Amino acid sequence: MTSSTTPINPTPPSLSLPPSQFARLQPHAYLLAHLSPPPASNQPSVRANGRATSQFRVTSANAGSLTHTNGSAVVRIGDTAAVCGVRAEILHTKDIASWSVLQASSEQNLDKSNDVGVSETHDEEDRGHIQDLNLLVPNLSLSTGCAPGFTPGAPPSALAQSLSHQILSLLHSTRLVRADDLRIWYQPPNLDSEEFRNAGEGMDVDTEQSEGSEREIKAFWVLYIDVMIISLAGNPFDAAWASVLAALRDTKLPKAWWDADNETILCSDNVADARKLSLRGLPIASSFCSFEGDAAAGWRAVVIPDAEEQKQKKGAQQRWILADPDGYEEGLSQERASVVVDKENGKTVIVKMEKHGGWTVDSDDLRQLVDVSARRWDEMKRILDQC
Amino acid sequence: MVGPIASLSQLNRADGSASYKCPATGYSILGAVNAPIELPARRDALKPEEATVEVFVKPGTTTAGVGERYVEGILRSVLGKIVLGREKGFPRRGVVLTLAIVGGENVERGDSYLTILPALLHAGLLAMVSASVPLSMTFSATLLGVTKSGDIVRDPSPTAAKAAVSLHVFAVSSKNHLLLNESEGRFDFDTWELVRERALSICQGETAASADGDVSMGEGTASASLSGFIRETVEDQVYSDYAYNLDSI
Repeated sequence: MTSSTTPINPTPPSLSLPPSQFARLQPHAYLLAHLSPPPASNQPSVRANGRATSQFRVTSANAGSLTHTNGSAVVRIGDTAAVCGVRAEILHTKDIASWSVLQASSEQNLDKSNDVGVSETHDEEDRGHIQDLNLLVPNLSLSTGCAPGFTPGAPPSALAQSLSHQILSLLHSTRLVRADDLRIWYQPPNLDSEEFRNAGEGMDVDTEQSEGSEREIKAFWVLYIDVMIISLAGNPFDAAWASVLAALRDTKLPKAWWDADNETILCSDNVADARKLSLRGLPIASSFCSFEGDAAAGWRAVVIPDAEEQKQKKGAQQRWILADPDGYEEGLSQERASVVVDKENGKTVIVKMEKHGGWTVDSDDLRQLVDVSARRWDEMKRILDQC
Repeated sequence: MVGPIASLSQLNRADGSASYKCPATGYSILGAVNAPIELPARRDALKPEEATVEVFVKPGTTTAGVGERYVEGILRSVLGKIVLGREKGFPRRGVVLTLAIVGGENVERGDSYLTILPALLHAGLLAMVSASVPLSMTFSATLLGVTKSGDIVRDPSPTAAKAAVSLHVFAVSSKNHLLLNESEGRFDFDTWELVRERALSICQGETAASADGDVSMGEGTASASLSGFIRETVEDQVYSDYAYNLDSI
């Protein structure tokens, strides 16, 4: 048979596939073959992209890339690139419908919790203002043609919306931005000095006057934090969060004050007067996915072993936890884990930890992931400090 | 502590439904499942060999926003993993779960969604069971808060949750796997381990499955754990559904 075909086709088609085609036809087997090479071949277990399991992609960050924003940054993690711009706008307290109520309730709180400690109440008030008045407005856009699945100009996908929410709730739960930086104060001049009052002018306005001489909040800065993912190759959250962080570190707010004569807020155009935000800590996100060796484990008609049994069988490693997964690896795994850590005086603090989509990652693995994330923190701090 | 209240198959147009109320946090959820149904324009689904699990969360007073998208994603990944989407009649079809938040405090924009997550998970699971969707395992979920003094509080109310240093949601499967963990706040890993231990004992009870794999059905022990509660709710429903059969024996 073969001899009859060769005269027609002198060079028989090669039966071996180039690796790139094998990767597309059998993605799971391709990644599995990389991670568990035959023992005879003496090759180390590496991922298809050449990284070790707990190795992150090359990360670079550049701050201040956009000139028309108050702060901006471009962060690139491998082939995933995120651009973040922060714009500050002024929110007058007279435009806040519930302002008088809010102020009254916060004063009440202050009275109530005087004995608890000043710093604590300050923190609480911080959280209240930023959260109740929506002073931080992050938005993430994936509709930029960043990946084949996302058409440009389409309405925000479920992924983009949930990433926006994750960024917002992380900004709130870490209390990264201080409300104090966002307040614009007015200190009335002290017209009713002692001798002025002793002259007996206007006994009825006395109470109002003494209140009025306290400094009051006239406006807030609202930070619009817009993230655009211009190229998506897996792990959008890490890139987006790093870009938000870098952009906020770069943000400068102009000096603003209430002008009593014009009854408006004025901003200084002197760059030297502008001041940076003082952020609380440096929370760094690291994401992971779990690649299961047995693709059918979830649905084959076998009884899923107990957690304890599964632990004992761990000798024959059936799954790999891959740090910073790229798009190819994300498509092959369902279980995700994400850890956000910060360091205080060299001590690791977990700010957020989540895992869902499977049952193979348990507390032992999460402990390791926290260690990996702590190492990633050092690396990212160096990168962000340099940018 | 007052335990949760749940009942199955309350809606008669949906394939399956469940209501779940947690008195401690005040949330009340109504869930409905339609499965398997034909999804329009899903012919070119990403995974044609499996059923597509879709989750919709409707807040009580407003339209769904970004927070709901996020919690829908979590529910989809948890439930999508335990639904046996390759059983007969399921591939290429859809399993659509709709969860309406009918009672409890509103989750504001940017608030943490963790306080309501266990109630949503339980309502979703019970609705799935009510619709006879094949599942590889069941689970139970709990919310734990760590206070400033370091105490672990079970099911903190929304105001207590705001004051907590860290909040944790755990979902533990019927076989003691950790299915879901969502933690936020400031904590270290040792605290997390303590909270996890506590969550495991709340979900599975002190006496877990015995050596031969059977769940001990002694009186009182079953209802002490959340998985026991899920089991009892389903048992009650099965008992009332087959009452005609039992009477004829």
